Amino acid sequence: MRYVVGYTADDRGRNAIDLAVAFARGQHNTLTLVMVLPPAEPFQAVYPPQNDYNEILVQQAQKWLKEAVRMVPDGISVTAEIRFSHSLAEGLMAAAKELGAALIVIGTGRGGIFNRSTVGKVAQGLLHSSTVPVAIAPQGYTSVHEISRITFAVGNRGGGQAIRDVGITSAASRGIPLRVISLLALDTDDQAAQDRAAKQANEVRDNALQQLPDGAIVTAEVAQGDTIEDAVESLEWQDDEIVVVGSSRLAERNKLFLGSTSNKMLRALPVPMVVVPRDYVLPDDLNPFVADDDAESAENTKEGGK
Amino acid sequence: MASTVEVKVVEEGGISKKGLPQGTIGVLGALVIGISCCAPAYTLTAAVGPAASVVGVQTPSIFLMGFIPMFLVALGYRALNDAMPDSGTSFTWGTRAFGPWIGWMGGWGLIAATVLVLSNLAGIAVEFLFLALSIMFDNPEIATLSDNVFINIGVCITFMAMATFISYRGMTSTKIFQYLTVGFQMAILVWFIVAMFVGANDPANKEAIPVDISWFNPLEVNSFGAFSAGIAVSIFVYWGWDTVLTMNEETKESKGRFSTASKAATILILLLVVLYVTVATAAVSFAGVGDGPTGLGNPEIAENVFAALAHPVMGGGAIFLAFAVLLSSVASIQSTAISPARTLLAMAHYKALPPKLALIHPRFKSPYYALITSSVVASVFYAIMRFISEDVLWDTITSLGMMVCFYYGVTALASVAYFRKTAFASWKDAVSKIILPGIGGIILFIIFFQTTIDSMSPDFGSGSNIGGIGLVFILGTTVILTGVVLMIVQSRIRPDFFRSKILTRGYDIPESEKASAQQVEYLKD
Repeated sequence: MRYVVGYTADDRGRNAIDLAVAFARGQHNTLTLVMVLPPAEPFQAVYPPQNDYNEILVQQAQKWLKEAVRMVPDGISVTAEIRFSHSLAEGLMAAAKELGAALIVIGTGRGGIFNRSTVGKVAQGLLHSSTVPVAIAPQGYTSVHEISRITFAVGNRGGGQAIRDVGITSAASRGIPLRVISLLALDTDDQAAQDRAAKQANEVRDNALQQLPDGAIVTAEVAQGDTIEDAVESLEWQDDEIVVVGSSRLAERNKLFLGSTSNKMLRALPVPMVVVPRDYVLPDDLNPFVADDDAESAENTKEGGK
Repeated sequence: MASTVEVKVVEEGGISKKGLPQGTIGVLGALVIGISCCAPAYTLTAAVGPAASVVGVQTPSIFLMGFIPMFLVALGYRALNDAMPDSGTSFTWGTRAFGPWIGWMGGWGLIAATVLVLSNLAGIAVEFLFLALSIMFDNPEIATLSDNVFINIGVCITFMAMATFISYRGMTSTKIFQYLTVGFQMAILVWFIVAMFVGANDPANKEAIPVDISWFNPLEVNSFGAFSAGIAVSIFVYWGWDTVLTMNEETKESKGRFSTASKAATILILLLVVLYVTVATAAVSFAGVGDGPTGLGNPEIAENVFAALAHPVMGGGAIFLAFAVLLSSVASIQSTAISPARTLLAMAHYKALPPKLALIHPRFKSPYYALITSSVVASVFYAIMRFISEDVLWDTITSLGMMVCFYYGVTALASVAYFRKTAFASWKDAVSKIILPGIGGIILFIIFFQTTIDSMSPDFGSGSNIGGIGLVFILGTTVILTGVVLMIVQSRIRPDFFRSKILTRGYDIPESEKASAQQVEYLKD
């Protein structure tokens, strides 16, 4: 099992590695750090041509990736590669497809108002067209522990089977608590809406409890605020938990498209978020959270990984 | 441990491990790239005046002659490029052929030339921006705004800042953009030429002179000094052509005996010679070389003749010419801004300049530190020049011509030195790698020294001078001497490069040397 990590030699790249490591801790996964370089564009007509420029660029990327590999703690298998593409998102998707990766992990940029994470161009590109789930580390993410809890949001318009499957199987395999949340953006106390949301969250919780083994912890919460962002901020978040959301119903089949609610959540969330494509069918061997492949991991270690 | 992890470079989608697209460009594409590098609409407006001011009606002949040293040097350029395809340009080649000191100065000459052209391009763009606006709003007042030093410098720096920002973000021109820009530019130039010939035959045009065969005879030029100054300017219009010769990997495989790059280079040089000579002939014929409002001998218009000729020649069509030159120069600012940055980056990479210049932006993958450095230098240079000279564009073009002669000369002689032991095995190699580039290099150095000496005179070129010494001389020698001083400083701070520990001299396989350059880097970590 493999995670493709979109690496850039800056904070967002380091956040992405930290998140990928959090996923991989206690599992048998291979992280593939991918650095995407722009290919030479002859039509740019740079004169006089500097023929060793691209060579120097590749050398720099190799140096960066070697540094990045050193950031991955021992015990986690890691490989690194350089790809050429005009778009970072396309480069990462190509890598994920070729390697059969279960997940693409990226970081988000600085900036935005009140230091919230902003959805960069790369994240947008991925979130609009990736066919594998995309994990986004929030700005400043640094984790040193395994994932402690999985939260998934239920929408009020049904659907979302994919995220439930991912959430439930992941919690089961990792033996960690699951939390079902329902977000409400209301400026007045609309009791009926709150009741509906609570009912829905409870249903999903009960359903999850039935599927999970005895002793599993599943909670349900309704969060309300003037805006989705406020609702998100009103909840309690653990440092090492992650949130799973589905992609918008506007998305093409099997592709991601971040809906407006998810987009707002991403901006307010202090924890990583995994976006699952619409109609994503969880392949038995491809659950991004349980990914357990000793054979391949061992092979990669032999190849020179850790 | 971790360091044992190999970084794999994935080659796919027709892109090589060096990130070069392979075999995708045909003859037409190569022509478009070559024309875009030459930017004829821009170079002609900047060069016709300075050339006509020294050689008068023989301007066509000087454009005809300018291609000869260019061609000879390009042969050396191609030979070096074939021998060391991954090895950059004048800096690396000069270093391998002559050692670190001359190599360093070759690189410096290239950086100086590109910084000069960058400031000149931005200056031309400013004038054509105001010209286009004045035609659009039918208000001649607007065109004179570019004479206001503060407005001029402000707009010029804005252009450069925009180009720098685009390059900083790693954005590039696309194929379709280049096809449109080049196509538009060429179409308008043809229109302009036809309109000039038509106008030359208009009895109302008192300045017009009928075309004479002597215009094409360089021997009619009064003095060697004038000839030399003319060649220095006309080298500049061909500057860019050689880019096509070095496109090997990117071009499609050719069915015939000659490669796509060779075919494109041959067609392009014919096209350029015909275009330049025809424009020069048409301009001389239409406007004459007198000092009337549109006369090419008028120092007021010499630094940007198309701006003065646009309306008299094309009437209402002048707006298209204004757009063509504006587009040509703005597109060139963007690609030219990258050029000195890449050379600075390469020199810093080989430890010949401060390591900061080798910084690459982690996200945009652009040589951002070198890019900002060169753009700031070009902007400051332009601002200072604008204050001390009324003919800043003219002076920069002349100095630029000298810089190109210098670094091209170094490159041509590098070919001679590099191949001196091997090329005499066959006649063909001896001629194309040693004899012809050698002649080209010698011609360029003669022109370089002749022009340098002549430019001391306060009457030289535009007549700008400081304390009775020609500004072009001051400019040229300041640039070269600054290079020498910086080189000595660098050799004290960073002796490794200057002791040939990083790039060594001689006919070695570049692969091994690249590896050693890398090792030095890792050892330092």
